[in-house]
Amino acid sequence: MSVVRKWSISRLLIWLVLIAGGIVSLFPFFWMVIGTTLNPNDVVQGIIVPGKELKLNWAKAIKNYDLFLFFVNSLKIALLTVVFGVIVNALAAFGFEKYKSKGRDKIFGLLLLTLIIPQIAVVIPMFKLFSFFHMLNTHSAIILPSVMSVFIIFFLRQNFKMFPTEIMEAARVDGTSELGIFTRIVAPSMKASFASASIYMFIAQWNAYLWPLMTILTDTKKTLPIAMSSMMNAYTIEYGALMIIVCISILPVLLLFLTMQKQFVAGLLGSVK
Amino acid sequence: MNKRGSYYRYLNRFGWFCVAPAMVLYGLFMAYPILSSLYYVTRKWKGMTNTFIGLGNFTRMVQDKIFQLSLAHNFVFMFIQIPVMIFFALILAVILNQGIKRLRGAFRVIFFLPCVTSLVAYSVLFRILLQSNGLLNNIMINAHLIADPIGWLNDPFWAKVTIILALTWRWTGYNMVFFLVGLQSIDTEIYEAAEVDGASKARQFFRITLPLLLPVILFSAVTSTNGTMQLFDEPNILTNQGGPANGTLTAALYIYRQAFVFNSDFGYATALSYIIVLISGVFAFVQMRLLGGRDK
Repeated sequence: MSVVRKWSISRLLIWLVLIAGGIVSLFPFFWMVIGTTLNPNDVVQGIIVPGKELKLNWAKAIKNYDLFLFFVNSLKIALLTVVFGVIVNALAAFGFEKYKSKGRDKIFGLLLLTLIIPQIAVVIPMFKLFSFFHMLNTHSAIILPSVMSVFIIFFLRQNFKMFPTEIMEAARVDGTSELGIFTRIVAPSMKASFASASIYMFIAQWNAYLWPLMTILTDTKKTLPIAMSSMMNAYTIEYGALMIIVCISILPVLLLFLTMQKQFVAGLLGSVK
Repeated sequence: MNKRGSYYRYLNRFGWFCVAPAMVLYGLFMAYPILSSLYYVTRKWKGMTNTFIGLGNFTRMVQDKIFQLSLAHNFVFMFIQIPVMIFFALILAVILNQGIKRLRGAFRVIFFLPCVTSLVAYSVLFRILLQSNGLLNNIMINAHLIADPIGWLNDPFWAKVTIILALTWRWTGYNMVFFLVGLQSIDTEIYEAAEVDGASKARQFFRITLPLLLPVILFSAVTSTNGTMQLFDEPNILTNQGGPANGTLTAALYIYRQAFVFNSDFGYATALSYIIVLISGVFAFVQMRLLGGRDK
């Protein structure tokens, strides 16, 4: 009797923790969606019943704040970073792993060493560099520094380790060029790793804040995070429209996560492998 | 023999060809900034011109009470938020691993969801939810938990609590996933053997689970430490540029201020960033010692 009771109390406790945790996790998402339908005053007061101003808020987000432009800017920057990033980093990882030399091993060690240098220490000289080339306030200024990522090179190199070198040798005997070996034989079998790396890079760039905040000066160049942050600093805040922009900014990453959970988590766990 | 040698030279050249694009970008956006910072750190900006002041930026730092305050905030967030988060992440991971059989996948997704939000987006959300007349205060007043609204964003003490709450909300599930992977790699036979020996669940947790999970916990702690040292987005948006009254000012935010907001002194800002590099370096060194000891 007492065993049964003890069992059910601990079980009850477990479910209480899970449900409480679940509510805390999900509530901001739920409320964010509700917020898109409220008038600004109700947003601030945290009304949790849907209102009737979705259309009005949507119209404001598009007309007063150019939501589409911010979205396109963000998407363009993130996608270009991913495309260039996967090519550059995969090639580098391939070179470091499959064409070992003492010189390159030393360079790789140096790369890993600078992995600990925080972004805030690099952005000031980088700002001066881009200002010298008159490239501030351009999307290239946001894309270029994020293409090469030591972390992604490291992650992909770990994955290249698993590709058998014998297959490369066989291809060489067949007369395939080295570049052909990479593009036609190695790369196609690494799709899952590339997917993880792409997701990681996309999210990092989609959410980037500090560097774009330093470089973007005009409204037309803004990305979603910069747009949201400048809306928060405005004298009057259009909360309803803001909630729509918040929703839109979370949506792509949310969809990526829900559809590609496996690669998503693999990208995160890549660092512990 | 000679032919073989030239073939290896060819392979070696191809190796350099592969790493070249990445190296050029690394040179421009990592090596050059690091090297040029050695020049900036010795100078003082006044308007558009700058002059050599040697180590002047570092002596200025010693007297800079606001920088010391901001650095102290980084440590406050670190030493309170990280243990709290790891505690919750551990509980959730253990429950999902051993406590339930149904809905495990669903709960894993739910707990992980907060970390897909961008730092800016969730900071905006929390800033609205935590207004004086906002939702959280309303709920707590209606439930008679508090009599007067809490100044989540207006009171220097509560604003720190706000940052800690927000960080914990976003990162607990993320760390939980790491712990879950760690837990799943523990052989269930160990628990079965402990069960046979009559060890209680609590004893099993402290004697088996915790020691085996320690490397993963350590890894989480170190990555979180790095993140907290660079804390910028949350205090800039959620608590409105490190406010109230610099109550949530962090080192990164102060550096940004020095470089771009006030009198724009890139030299001083660079010198300040050296301190962050130094502290991060010390933590990384400790990490390597702690994690490295396990592999040998």
